[in-house]
Order: sequence, then structure tokens, then C-alpha cells
Amino acid sequence: MSDFQLYLTNTAGLSSVASFWVFVASNGTKRFNSIALKVANGVMLVGFIALTVAIVTRGIEAQRFPLANLYESLLWFAWATMGGFLYLCRSYGIQQLGWLASLLAATMFLYGSWLPSSQHDISPLVPALVSYWRQIHVPPLIVSYAMFFLAGLSGLLNLWQSGRLRSLAFCVGTIIAASSAIGLGTFSKVDTQWLQILFVASSVIGPFLAFRSLPVKDAAIEQSKASSKAAEMYDDVGYRCVAIGFPLLTIGIITGGLWANHAWGSYWSWDPKESMALVTWLSYAAYIHLRIQRDLSAEKLSIVSVIGLLLTLLTYLGFNSLGFGGLHSYGKFK
Amino acid sequence: MVALLSEDDKSKEVEPEVVASLAVPPNKVKDGKRDNTKDQLSPFASVKLSVFLMCLMALTILIGAGVPQESQGGQEKVFEVFGNQVAEWLVRLGISDIYHSPWFLALTATLTLNMIVVSFQRVFPKLKLLKNSLPFFRGQDILKLPVHYCLNLAKAEEQTALIADLSVRLTKMGYKVKAEGSKLKGEYGLVGRLAPSVTHVGLLTLLLGITITSWTGFTGFQPVLLDEKLNFSDSQHSKLWIGSLPKWQVRVDGTRRENYPGGQAKQWFSNLSVVDDKGKVLHQGEISVNNPLTYENVDIYQSSWGLAKVAVSFNGHQRQLDLRPMGEKYACFLPLDQDTVLIMSLASEGKSLRVFAKRREWQAPKLISEIQSGKSIKLGDVDVVFEKAIPVTGLQYKRDPGLPITYLAFGIIMIGVLLAAVPHRHVWVAVEDNRLYMGGTSRKAKVGFERSMDNLVEKLKASFTLQEQAQLDQGEQAHV
Ligand code: HEM
Repeated sequence: MSDFQLYLTNTAGLSSVASFWVFVASNGTKRFNSIALKVANGVMLVGFIALTVAIVTRGIEAQRFPLANLYESLLWFAWATMGGFLYLCRSYGIQQLGWLASLLAATMFLYGSWLPSSQHDISPLVPALVSYWRQIHVPPLIVSYAMFFLAGLSGLLNLWQSGRLRSLAFCVGTIIAASSAIGLGTFSKVDTQWLQILFVASSVIGPFLAFRSLPVKDAAIEQSKASSKAAEMYDDVGYRCVAIGFPLLTIGIITGGLWANHAWGSYWSWDPKESMALVTWLSYAAYIHLRIQRDLSAEKLSIVSVIGLLLTLLTYLGFNSLGFGGLHSYGKFK
Repeated sequence: MVALLSEDDKSKEVEPEVVASLAVPPNKVKDGKRDNTKDQLSPFASVKLSVFLMCLMALTILIGAGVPQESQGGQEKVFEVFGNQVAEWLVRLGISDIYHSPWFLALTATLTLNMIVVSFQRVFPKLKLLKNSLPFFRGQDILKLPVHYCLNLAKAEEQTALIADLSVRLTKMGYKVKAEGSKLKGEYGLVGRLAPSVTHVGLLTLLLGITITSWTGFTGFQPVLLDEKLNFSDSQHSKLWIGSLPKWQVRVDGTRRENYPGGQAKQWFSNLSVVDDKGKVLHQGEISVNNPLTYENVDIYQSSWGLAKVAVSFNGHQRQLDLRPMGEKYACFLPLDQDTVLIMSLASEGKSLRVFAKRREWQAPKLISEIQSGKSIKLGDVDVVFEKAIPVTGLQYKRDPGLPITYLAFGIIMIGVLLAAVPHRHVWVAVEDNRLYMGGTSRKAKVGFERSMDNLVEKLKASFTLQEQAQLDQGEQAHV
């Protein structure tokens, strides 16, 4: 890795951390709120540009498309998170999503930089990955995952603004538990069996409790007109993220099938990672149909989008780090 | 239907058709044509059912992804991971081969039926609505829309210019605009309405393609040694099968591996000849990963590569020893007596053969010698010649007659889901009694729509003598 590129990546990582704090701080001041938000957006934009250049130079240095190992894919994820947020920001005045998006990007940078160096290095590709299909197949997937994460985070904000604080707490707790399982699975020697249980159990119990707690509302928040307006907006933002992520996931899965067919003669082989992408796809198809039919309230759909986030997390990082394995395992650690 | 606009039903989205029906005298709505059609829908036409089935399907596949599948790692893998007792149950319940279990097939069948019925009864009929153009609205109707504005126009003479200006602005925003006197209507993203139909046509096409393949296609994998032939005897196909297997075979004339400077595999190659039963060569070609050979619609792929055997002669007696992959290398084991094993290890083709000996009392094998390919060494009084390494090429083959249809389906589905991201929007404007009424609906991206309308109003205020007047709040989602 060249110094220049390291410098750019660090700039991007630091700017995501910095924008996180500015976004948080913007809540502390009424008077400078809008300036603080502009600054936070600006910092994020700087990080986004730095990361864009970093990824491009990495590709030039490696003389291949810069998306071949987990580290590079995390860079893409952070890039898509920042870019996705900046894009949404243009059409919506979303403020609170800002610190969550920065936090998400910063977490991914941190996760990436802690990975063993074998995952960082620009290493040659195994025969199966030498193909122009790789650059068609993977980027839409990573961007769709980032959009689904943003949708889940919007879901959290919707729960907050609609006064469903207890449900929110359960959702946040679940996400923390599930992410911890993945963090431990990647960096510690804890038996993956326990981590699998932690991930699965929290993903089942947390959303269940969140659903059960929906009737518990914070009256003050619920009756505030500004909050209900904001709740409606986060609901809409979440749907927008899914509406962008779903076609990308579809394209990613299909191009993956085309590649597999081209390379191995079968577009579908029920490889675990492949199957997980299909699970995610079906879940979001279910979400979209629930949405169109409007069978569920915005708060319930928010919890569904958090479940979607957990599934996306499982698909993207969980299957490798929790030891489920599979053909796509460029992220085997142990 | 009118209830859709009532306050307690905040979450319901308002469809333009519904709004249009509001503009029609109430007695017509009461005809209840919609409700009649609902009765005619079969029980399979329920979207609730399909959401439920999709979730069940997702759960099933989730289990399939988590539990090692026999079709991938073989049954041994299942026993290795879960131990005898649990594995036996998994096998008995079909969980270790979940994609072939009756449960999965039944679920697929129900989902398919559901999708076909819903597509024809609910999704495709909506295409007819595309032709129905919505009427111009009066001010009163516009105020019933989820997003609406009512502004006073101070100078009545500006009315014509205002409509013309709005028409230009909305056109710039991508709306298809129609104006008639003091009324205007605009529509945006009509193609978005095609999304459900296009996607579902794509999904049905996909099912057709998969069905054709499953009834007439076959697939298989065969490891083939150098100079030997691939026949199709191990091929797999579905139980309901009306296809046929090729009469010709494929001979492996050569196969090699290309490495990166560091020694990792970069690419595998095989030279193949298609030969008929008399040995006549019909077709030839080289394959590598990502570059298959196609003959009579059968595709042959390079899917793995290894060294299978090593040919060694001992005092002139040739023997072929089976190699086992050991990490990056290959090795074979030759017991000499009760305590001693001769180990030969080979890094890759063209490299020398390393000969080790291991005795029970030794901690690690000792390197005895290294033999170049084609060379010989003396081990005691035995003359050992390393003749050659015999590679094996893993060939995957398939005939997939439904593939063109499947690919077509992939294309249609991708277009369909992309269209679904396009929000369909309507805007109506009317100027009555020096008041500008403007409103609209957007089924998707509502907040974005509201913001764009807010922007539009701000711009109008800058150019015309428009003043905010107290909102004629009807109790619905008033726009603040
Ligand atoms: C399996 C049974 C399925 C049923 C019964 C079903 C039913 C429906 C229905 C009733 C609509 C609404 C049509 C409208 O409002 O005009 C719809 C829309 C849609 N469906 Fe399905 N569907 C099924 C499966 C799927 C699957 C597997 C996908 C995956 C891509 C899918 C993708 C879509 C899309 C993209 C839309 C349009 C959404 C939009 O306009 O935003 N459907 N479906």
C-alpha cells in the first residue's frame, strides 16, 4: 500500500469519525444547529472524496479492479454509506441519520483496519476471481448492503420519533449484540458456536420483543407535531433506501449468476453465501409487498427493516466471521 | 375507499385512482365495482399469503445456508459437523438436503401458484388503468389530496401567466403536463407503474426457463486424468426428464497449471478433443476457468485442477502412486515396513519430487533426496526414476436448454425492479376566484415529493403576487 493511498484512506476514516461528532454536537445547540449540520456534511463530503480517490489509486496500484478482498469491500461499503447518505441528504433534510451513517462508516473503517494484514495486502487473485465479471457483480451488492443498512438505521429513527422508545431499545440492543458476535468472531478466539447462538438468538428475540413493545409509547414525543413529521420522513427515507438497494441487490445476484454460469457452468449452486443473498432478497421482496399493500404500520415496517439490517449483516460479514463458510469465502480468518 | 383519506388512517397511501373516484359523484362510487372484483379473486390471490410464503422460503433457505448440504460437502461433512446423533436426524428430516426435500418443493410449488394467480388477477389487470387518464380537478378536489396548497393571487390578470409558468416548471421537473384554461394536470414517472407487471412477467419467465432446463437439461462433474475421456455417465438430471445425453466423448489431450511468481495458482488450462465412438475428432479447443468449450449445446468448464498420480519406477518396475493434496502440495505415502514410510511430495508439475522417510521414532520426516523429472536416483540398491506427474482436470459440464429464456427473464427482472424505484406522481392545479389550488400525490418517496412541491411554491411566490392564506384544513394530513 502506498503512503499516499494510506493517507487518503486515513483521511476518509478520520472524517467519518469527525463528522460523527459534529452531527452529534449539532443536537446540542439550537442556534448553530444548521451551521453545524452543514459543517458535518462538509466533513463527510471530504471523506467521501478522499475515499473515492483512495479506491481509484488502489486499483491503479494493484492494476486490477480494487475489490478483491474483505478489506477492499469494507472500503466500498463505507464509500457507499457515505455516498448514499450524501445523496439522501440532497432530497431530504435528514439530520439524525447523519451521525448514524458516520458511525456506521467509521465502524467499517475500524473493522477493516483491524483485519489481519493478509486481508489488507494487494494479493494476487485465485483463478476463479480473475474475470471482468467481478467488477460487475460485486459493487452493486456492496452498495445495496449499505443502502439496507441505512434503511435499518432510518427505521431506528422512525421508532424514536414515533415515541416507541422501548422497541427502539430492543432493536438497538439486538444490533449491538449481533455486531459484537461478528466482531468477536473476527478478532477473538471465542468458539464460533457460541457466537452463532448469540447472533441468531439476539436476532430472533430482539425484534420479537420490539414488536411486543410497540404499544408502549412516549406520549410527549408521540404528540409532538415535529416528531410525527420527522417519523414520517424517516419512514419514507427508509423505503427510499430499500427502493434503491433492492434493484442493486437484484442486479448483483443476477450478475453473480451470469458469472457463475460463465465460469462454472451453473448459475446457481446453493452456496451458503449465495443462498444468504437470496434470503435477503426474499426478505426485502416481502418488505416491499407489505409496503405496497400497506398492511403494516410504519413502526412495524421499521422493525422489519431492522430485521433486514440483521440479515444483511449476516450475509455480508456474518457468514464468514461466524464460521458458516462457503465458496465465496474471501474472508476466512481462521 | 373514501375512508382511505380519513385521519385515523394515516398510514394508507392514496392512489390517484382513489382520488379520481372522489372527484366523481358519490353515487357512482357506491356501485362498488372494485368490491365485486375482489370477491372473484381466488384464495391464492392473497398478497398476505405470498408475503408469508416468501418469509417461509427465506427461513428455509436460511437453514439450508447454515447447515452443510449433502449436495455440496457430501453426507460425511454433515456427520463431521454435527456428530452422529444430530446428523442422523438432520438427514432423516431432509434438512441436510433441504433443496431437494418435499417441503421445499411443496413450498416452491405453492409460491409459484400464488405468483401466477396474483400476477394474472391483480398485477396485470392494473395495466389497464394506465390508459385511463385522470380528469382535471376542481379546487375542492385538490384540497383532498395528501399534499395541497391554497394561495391567494392578488393580481387576477396574472392567472394565465401563472398557469403557463407552472406548466413550464413542471415540464422541467419531468412531468407530462396538460393545461386547459385555468386548470392543469401533470404526471410523472408513469413507467414506474409498469414495475410490478414487468417484474412479475420476468419472474414467470424465469420459472419457465428453469422448468425447461429441469426437464431437458443435465449437469455433471467428472475428474478426468490426462489422455482419458469424459463420458456423461455420471450426469445428473431431474426425475421428470425428457432429454437425451450426447453420444460423443471428450478426451483430455493436455492440462496444465499456470502460477503467479509466488507459486499460487493463477489459471488452469486443458486441451480437449471431442471424439465420436469411432475415435474420430469432431472438435478441439482449449479451456480455462471462465473460458468453456461448447459443442452441440453442451458446455464444458474447467472447474478444478490437481495432480492425481505420480509415475515412479523402482528398478524398472513402473508404479503409479495416488497423490493426495496436502495444503499447497501433493504427497503420496508408501509403507516400506512396519515402522517406515516413504513419503514423496510434489509442489507442482515440472518441479522436482522430494523423497522423505519417516520412522515411527522420528519426530518429523527426513528429506532423503530430490529427483528431477525424468531423472533417477539410487536409494540403497534401488534405482528410483521419477517418470512424470499425472494431472487430473476437474471438468464440469452441462446442457441448459432453458438458458436463453432464463437470461431473458434476468433481463426483464432487472428492468422491472429498476422501474420500481421510479416514483409515480400526479399534480393538479386550478385557479378559481383568484385562488391558486395546487396539490398532488406520490405513492413513493412522498417526502421528496413534498419538498419538491414546497420548492415550487417558493419559486412561484417569488415571481407572482401569491400570498399564503389560512389553510383550508379539512382535517386530513394538512400540509404545514
Ligand atoms: C410469490 C408471490 C408474489 C406475489 C403474490 C406478488 C404480488 C404482488 C402484488 C400484488 C404487487 C402489487 C402490484 C401493484 O400494486 O400494482 C406486486 C408488486 C411487485 N412485486 Fe410481487 N409478488 C410475488 C413475488 C415477487 C417476487 C419474488 C419479487 C421479487 C423481485 C416481486 C417483485 C415485485 C415488485 C418489484 C413489485 C413492484 C413494487 C413497486 O411497485 O414498488 N414479487 N407483487
